Amino acid sequence: MSALGHLKIVSQLLDLPIIDKDERSCGIVDDVELEGRPGKEMKVAALLVGPGAYDGRMPAWLLWLTRQIAGDRMARVPADQIDEIGAVVKLKSCGEDLGLHQVEDKVRAWIPRKGAL
Amino acid sequence: MNPLELTLGIMTAVGGFVDISELVFAAKAGSMFGYALIWAFVLGTIGMSVFGEMSGRVAAIAKQPVFNLMRHRLGLKLGLVTLIGSLISTLITCAAEVGGMALILNYLTGLPYPLLAVASVIVVSASMWVLPFKWIERTYGLLGLMMIVFAVAVVAIHPPWAKLIGGAVPQVPSGLSSKELLNYSYFIVAILSAVLFPYESYFYSSGGIEEGWGAKDLLTNRVTCTVGFGLGSLLAISILAASAQLFGPLNVGPEIPGTSALEAAIPFGRVGLMLALLGMLFAVAGAAVETCMSNAYAVSQFFGWEWGRHAKPWEAPRFTLAWIAVMLLALLIVLTGVDVMSLVEYAVLFSIIVLPLTYLPLMLLANDKSYMREHANKWLAKGLGWLFFVIVTCAAIAAIPLYLLTSGGSG
Repeated sequence: MSALGHLKIVSQLLDLPIIDKDERSCGIVDDVELEGRPGKEMKVAALLVGPGAYDGRMPAWLLWLTRQIAGDRMARVPADQIDEIGAVVKLKSCGEDLGLHQVEDKVRAWIPRKGAL
Repeated sequence: MNPLELTLGIMTAVGGFVDISELVFAAKAGSMFGYALIWAFVLGTIGMSVFGEMSGRVAAIAKQPVFNLMRHRLGLKLGLVTLIGSLISTLITCAAEVGGMALILNYLTGLPYPLLAVASVIVVSASMWVLPFKWIERTYGLLGLMMIVFAVAVVAIHPPWAKLIGGAVPQVPSGLSSKELLNYSYFIVAILSAVLFPYESYFYSSGGIEEGWGAKDLLTNRVTCTVGFGLGSLLAISILAASAQLFGPLNVGPEIPGTSALEAAIPFGRVGLMLALLGMLFAVAGAAVETCMSNAYAVSQFFGWEWGRHAKPWEAPRFTLAWIAVMLLALLIVLTGVDVMSLVEYAVLFSIIVLPLTYLPLMLLANDKSYMREHANKWLAKGLGWLFFVIVTCAAIAAIPLYLLTSGGSG
């Protein structure tokens, strides 16, 4: 958790791009999971990634539309996997290990692997 | 800084600056208002240099392309609205470029327009599949340099230089009726929109990241944005000036892009005509590639997908599917039979409306020392940035009323 320290969740974490240790794009911080109680210290427990985390962040009709197009999958990145937060969130491990490349890998199977320089 | 790379970068920026909208509005503006709208191109080019330099600097230092910034700064809801607006405006622009390619090929070959639209999309898509980013950018940019024939043509037809240079000063021509004044205002907005198309900064900043820019590339970025865009703009101004000299006095309204090519044919005959048409073809094809890739960049960056054409198409699969989908949608729009000139009108109209929302987050990040360190905007970039933000916001507010009042500049 040391990568997090004190931070402003909305301006310093939410909607930041996430890259893994190999510098591959892994999605965006769509929401965060907090732990703690009112009056006590709150901690970021995990980053939530994917359209399943849009709940409460957009009007109901837009959420419905988004779910029809993109589904409601969501990956959870435990806070101890965060290496650094700056212009992007860097992870300590590979996106695959955290289930962040499932859709990308599925779509990759459709693309022919020939002809490009 | 490698001088060869810098020269190629500048030449690419020059050849890639003009697109179908600038071609159309430059020729129409010259024919309708003489040299009086040159200043709108000059103003738009200064704005494009300011925002282009900023987006390149942010890409080099914060390693952030425009849509990542927008999502983070505007949030999901407003960001999504801006994304959708940008996707629509850039898709219409892409369709206009594809239609423009088919029209120019039709002048060159006489083959049916729909067939040429399909052929254009196949060839352009194949080039995007085969070539890596740097070569896509250079191929179209360098071939677009054939448009220099327009600048040479202006010199050859001996324009009234004092009037031409005087056109660079903001002015309202005397003796215009209120209807003509509204048309003049519409053309100012349309030219600003055509020069400042938002896709240009998406493409430019994403390109900086594709090419792995860092602090060492800041000078290249600055020179490309000032010298490259400035010289590119001279080509558009040449089209306007030649139109003012050749078409205005005869009351010829260049309603189709092919009319502009006559500006080179008059002084240089068949060779001039061919160079003009080929230059226009490659410039418009380059813009089709840029708009198509810009939409794929936008959606990929907004949702955090793998993106870029420095990688092989299968290494960024959703990005690849996105640009293929954009190209096919643009082709479908063209095949509905919608007039290319109408597409150009819609493209400039939608683009100017989303422009302020694109530039605000970019400017906020370029001002932010925590990301940009010593490369954050200084007083000049800040001042110019805010000035142009105000200008594009005013243009965005005025765009729809002026479009309706003037029936798209023809009323």
